[in-house]
Amino acid sequence: MSDTFDVAVIGAGIDGLTAAAYLAKAGKRVVVLEAQAKVCGLCGSTELRDGFLVPRVAQTLYALDPQVLKDFPSVQRGLAFAARDLAQVGLGEDGRVVTLSRDTNETVRSIALHARADAQAWPSFRAGLFRLARAMRSSWWTGEAFDPDALSSSNRATFAELQTMSAAAWLDSRFESGLLKATLAFDAAAGSLLEPGSALPLLWRAAQEIDGVQGAVALPRGSAGALAPLLSSTAIQAGATVQTGARVARLLVDTGSVTGVELESGETLLCGAVLSSLSRRNTLLGLAPDAAPLALLRALQRIPVRTGTALVTLALSDAPNLARGEAPLASRYIVADRLETIIAADLAARAGRLPDEIPFEIVVPSQLDGSVAPPGSHVLTCLVRPVPVAPPEGWNVLKPKLTAKIIGTLDRLSPGLVPDIMAVDVITPEDIADEDGVQTPERMIGPWRARIDTPIAGLYLCGAGVEPVAAVSGRAGRIAAALVAGKP
Amino acid sequence: MSVRATPFHTRAAAANPGNSWITRNGFTLVQEYSGAAGEAMAARSHAILADITWRWRIFLEGPQAAAFLSRLTTRDAEALTPGNAHKALWLNDGGGLRGAGVIARYGRESFLLAAAAPDEKWIAEAAKLFDVRLRETDEGGLAIIGPYAQAIVTAAGLDASLKPLAFRKMFWRGIDVTLSRWGEHGGFEIWCNADDAVLVWDRIAKAGAAFGIQPAGTAATDILDMEAGVARPWRDYQPATDDSGDEPSPKALRLEKLIDNEHTRFNGRAGYLAASPRHRIAGIEFDCETAVPRVALYREGAPVGRVLISLYSPALQRAIGWAQVETSAAEPGTVLSFLPDAGAEPVLAQVAGLPFLSTPAPIAE
Repeated sequence: MSDTFDVAVIGAGIDGLTAAAYLAKAGKRVVVLEAQAKVCGLCGSTELRDGFLVPRVAQTLYALDPQVLKDFPSVQRGLAFAARDLAQVGLGEDGRVVTLSRDTNETVRSIALHARADAQAWPSFRAGLFRLARAMRSSWWTGEAFDPDALSSSNRATFAELQTMSAAAWLDSRFESGLLKATLAFDAAAGSLLEPGSALPLLWRAAQEIDGVQGAVALPRGSAGALAPLLSSTAIQAGATVQTGARVARLLVDTGSVTGVELESGETLLCGAVLSSLSRRNTLLGLAPDAAPLALLRALQRIPVRTGTALVTLALSDAPNLARGEAPLASRYIVADRLETIIAADLAARAGRLPDEIPFEIVVPSQLDGSVAPPGSHVLTCLVRPVPVAPPEGWNVLKPKLTAKIIGTLDRLSPGLVPDIMAVDVITPEDIADEDGVQTPERMIGPWRARIDTPIAGLYLCGAGVEPVAAVSGRAGRIAAALVAGKP
Repeated sequence: MSVRATPFHTRAAAANPGNSWITRNGFTLVQEYSGAAGEAMAARSHAILADITWRWRIFLEGPQAAAFLSRLTTRDAEALTPGNAHKALWLNDGGGLRGAGVIARYGRESFLLAAAAPDEKWIAEAAKLFDVRLRETDEGGLAIIGPYAQAIVTAAGLDASLKPLAFRKMFWRGIDVTLSRWGEHGGFEIWCNADDAVLVWDRIAKAGAAFGIQPAGTAATDILDMEAGVARPWRDYQPATDDSGDEPSPKALRLEKLIDNEHTRFNGRAGYLAASPRHRIAGIEFDCETAVPRVALYREGAPVGRVLISLYSPALQRAIGWAQVETSAAEPGTVLSFLPDAGAEPVLAQVAGLPFLSTPAPIAE
């Protein structure tokens, strides 16, 4: 028995749901196939224990596509922010703190405590980065191809640097303070895997905005996982069908064109187009090994996927005290003492080991949003990267080590935190299982179309792997849907 | 460059008074023993013995060997039964022809791929996507071609009751050999361990003496190949060496018959189906006896292509060759002309149906 649809979307994640919403709105018969038992399995939120609401993978939002919110008012209405613009706070060893906030004067004062020259350099550094980011925005926000010649001469010079330098080298050439450099470098690894590699992710992050605020990092009310259910109900209301527990086994391809999908249950669905939220590697190698070109498959197989991200989530019976009152409450804390910490961690993770000092980002959503934890209790989430994707020891061995390491560091930062821990949850790269190779400059500034298209006619990619930098944005879904809907 | 001798080298050297050698796929081979034309004619009147160790052969073994070959090549290897072979092509991602060869099934999980030119890197890379191992072989190979080939093989004590493309492993008076019929000229091939090669040569030479067998070099087998309409990679056409790109198309080389239309899984199929090459490789008969250089070909005064290679066919008593011509001028029977020298009178040529000349039928004892 088989059903017929215009488009099948693989994966009910943010991008898959966004694509489905657009396609359904355009009058297409759309089915979303989600392998997990429930919608938003990984992109939603979960209850760590009674009353503690935590996100599954993303802990903040910073790249959400404004166009998606504009096109779907129900999502815009439903999405409330506990904080729209978190300050970025670097936590060093020995209690050193640097606070990078929207307020330039405060930031300069905070940096001056570490390095006077850095404080002087900060305003023009930040303004220059933001200026170039705005000029670059169209290539990241729309399907348009990027033309570096259209940049002003000073922007072009900065762009040339960013394109060719590693984030570490670029930051190192500008600042003295190790804590400042490490804090900034953490973001360069935004969801990417070859870090500290290109400096372009810093520019890409500066090109994002939340609620019209450039470079903001926001914390949605009810955890960062609150977005997915909003998108899901929007897609369903627009007419899309969502099937859960529907893991796709393979794509049906006839003479180079996709004709449908076969589920692991054996059921087949016929459709004229397939949008896959999986990475190019997992889509072609995993679902179309019999149809995708051999040399391309080998090229995908050869790309080493070595470092990824983990999320450690704690339920606490009392408030943590991370920066000893030296940072605003609405902060995300970067734990990385020196640039070397970031570089050494990257090398260790690539070698399949857990870094001795792991950089991570802490958010305490319950300090800003009472809805995610019972009164007096708190939720603390740590985005940990880089960690090895496939450690030789296996994640079942590494997971407790990682947890112990993170809790040990947290206890140093906020003494007395350990007895308050009521529950711990750890998501490893194994749980996410869709890392997408290296962050190449081609991927960072190449046209969307090239990242979305595949050699199989009717098969498009729409997941995080299509984004210039893997992030929760919905943009890949929107642009992929537009490409598909544009087809007869 | 050093000599990489085949296992038959001592016998070949002894029979090669002209000391005429050539290198092919890295092997040092006799180009002609007594004269290419005479050797080629002997393949039509009596029988020849040719060293074919130079052919590239690789074993593919493993649980997914059949699945791999079905993806790699233009015919369904899973439908082959052990002891049988078929000819197929392999294409790159874009549908460009990378190679052509024989695929022989040795067992459930064991195949041999044999081809005129190696394409090791491409096949080894693609094989990494499957549970399949590649194994090289250093066996020697000897071809017996001619109307008396079957009689000679039988006289030598081998069971020659093989259909074309079939093969069988045999125990032949103390040595292990594989007898196959994979060649283009209706003959037999004997594959043996390198250590047994001289013995194999001697046995065939002895059994064949009564039938007038003589050794033939690469120049003679090249003539036979061309007469049979078999274009060889690198000499007659440039195979694809890249991962994508749709040239040369199997259509341009008229190799569609090696593509199974029912077999839809092979790599490059979409590109192959979409290709409509402007040029074809066509067999040409020239109204002259000397080989024609790479000159332009004209149809009613307008240039339509050029000669790629030609040689004198002693059986046809004229020059034959391959030319690249516009698709509209590739139909057999199309009359063309060329200028052998600047200012000379045009000489006629004609697009030939292939093969130029069919293989002579076997003569029973």
